[in-house]
Amino acid sequence: MREESDKELLDRIAKMLDGGLKTMTEPFPEDNFQFDVIVRELAHIKKDDVEKKLVVSGYLNHPIEEMRCMECMYYLNHRKWCNLPEIDLPAEPDWWCRLWRI
Amino acid sequence: MANLLWLQGGACSGNTMSFLNAEEPSACDLVTDFGINILWHPSLGMELGNDLQQILKDCVSGKIKLDIFVFEGTVVNAPDGTGTWNRFAGRPMKEWVKELSAAADFVVAIGDCATWGGIPATAPNPTDSVGLQFLKKNIGGALGKTFKAKSGLPVINIPGCPAHPDWVTQILVAVATGRAGDLTLDEYQRPKTFFQSFTQTGCTRNMHFAYKVSTTQFGQRNGCLFYDLGCRGPMTHSPCNRILWNRQSSKTRAGMPCLGCTEPEFPFHDLMPGTVFKTQTVMGVPKELPLGVDKSSYIKYTGAAKAATPKWAEEDMFVV
Ligand code: SF4
Ligand code: SF4
Repeated sequence: MREESDKELLDRIAKMLDGGLKTMTEPFPEDNFQFDVIVRELAHIKKDDVEKKLVVSGYLNHPIEEMRCMECMYYLNHRKWCNLPEIDLPAEPDWWCRLWRI
Repeated sequence: MANLLWLQGGACSGNTMSFLNAEEPSACDLVTDFGINILWHPSLGMELGNDLQQILKDCVSGKIKLDIFVFEGTVVNAPDGTGTWNRFAGRPMKEWVKELSAAADFVVAIGDCATWGGIPATAPNPTDSVGLQFLKKNIGGALGKTFKAKSGLPVINIPGCPAHPDWVTQILVAVATGRAGDLTLDEYQRPKTFFQSFTQTGCTRNMHFAYKVSTTQFGQRNGCLFYDLGCRGPMTHSPCNRILWNRQSSKTRAGMPCLGCTEPEFPFHDLMPGTVFKTQTVMGVPKELPLGVDKSSYIKYTGAAKAATPKWAEEDMFVV
C-alpha cells in the first residue's frame, strides 16, 4: 500500500479536528514533571493510532492565547511537523497542543 | 624548584585520574620542564607510614618548604565535627589540611569536592563535608572566609567533576613559575582564564541554539540540548568547548547535556529524580534561562528566532 504523504496526513488530521474531535486540552502541564506524565502516556500509543495521539496530546486547530506550534520548541516550521518523538505528526503553524514548550 | 604536595580527602580519585592524563603540559612535564618537585601524591608517592608522616610534619614545621599544597576531595567533618571518618597519617585529615594550608605559599583546590563540597556535600551530606573555602555558594568551608595562603592569595579553585587535566597542570605551572600574579580569580576564586567564558562558548550546537531547534534524544547530532535535555551550557562557566576533552570532544559535542559541574551548586536540585538531563520548566518556559536573559526577552527572541529558522537547521546536517 502507498504510504500517506506528510501533506495527506496533515489534511486528514485537519479534517478530524474540523469535524469536532474532542482532545484533552487540559490540564496544561505546569512543570516538566507533569509534562513527562503526558509524554509517557503518549509513548504507549501505537505509532499509527493518530487519533489517540491527537486526543492525549490535546491537539487543537487554533492557538491558545500567545501559544502556537509556530514558536514551540518541537516544531519544524519548514516541514510543518511536530518533532516531539512521542507525537511525530504534522501540524499547521497556528495549531497548538498541551505539550507546547518554548 | 617548587615543592608540591597533593593530598586527597573525601574523593573518588577522579581528579587524580584527570591529572595523570594531562597532555599540555603532562604530569611528567611538570617535573622535567617546569621544575615542580612532587613531594608526595596518593598515586605517585613512594613513602608510606612513618616516612610519609615525616614529610607532612616537615612541611608543617617549615623544614621542607611547601610551595604548593593541592587538595582533592572534601574535608570531612563527621562524626560530630571530629573528622575521624577520614583519618590520614595518624590523625583526621582535616587537621593536616589546616596546618598544611597555613604553611603553604599557594593552596589549590582541585575538583568540585575540594572547591565547594560537590557530590559528597549534597543533602543530607552524611559525612559533613565541606570544600576548602566554600560550601556550595557560601564562602567559609574548612579554612574560613578570611583564609589567605602565604602568597596572599586565597584558595585557588579549579572546579569540575573532574577538572579538565590541562586546567590543573596549566595553573600549577603558572604558580610554580612565578606567574600567579597574572591569575585573576572570579567571585568563586576560579581562574578567569578558564572560567570567564561559558560551556556554550565554542559549542558546535550554537547555530541550533540560535534557531531554537531542539535535540530530543541523547547522541543526536542536530539540535541544541538546552530546550529538552537540560543542557546548562548557557549558564555554566567552563572552557569545555574551547579546551576539548581528550583533545577532541566535549559532552555537548557527543550529544550529552552539560551538567554544570564547574558551578558551586553542582549537583543541581540535589539530584532529585526528574531533574537530571531534563530542562526544568514552568508553564512551558525553562525555569533557568541563559545567564543575563529575563523571561520576557527570552520569549520574544525565541519566537523571532523560531520564525527565522532556515530550512537547513531543521535537517540533519551531519551526513556521512
Ligand atoms: S508539541 Fe504541541 S504545540 Fe509543540 S509543535 Fe508539537 S503539536 Fe505543536
Ligand atoms: S545549550 Fe548546550 S548544547 Fe545548546 S549550544 Fe549551548 S552548550 Fe551547546
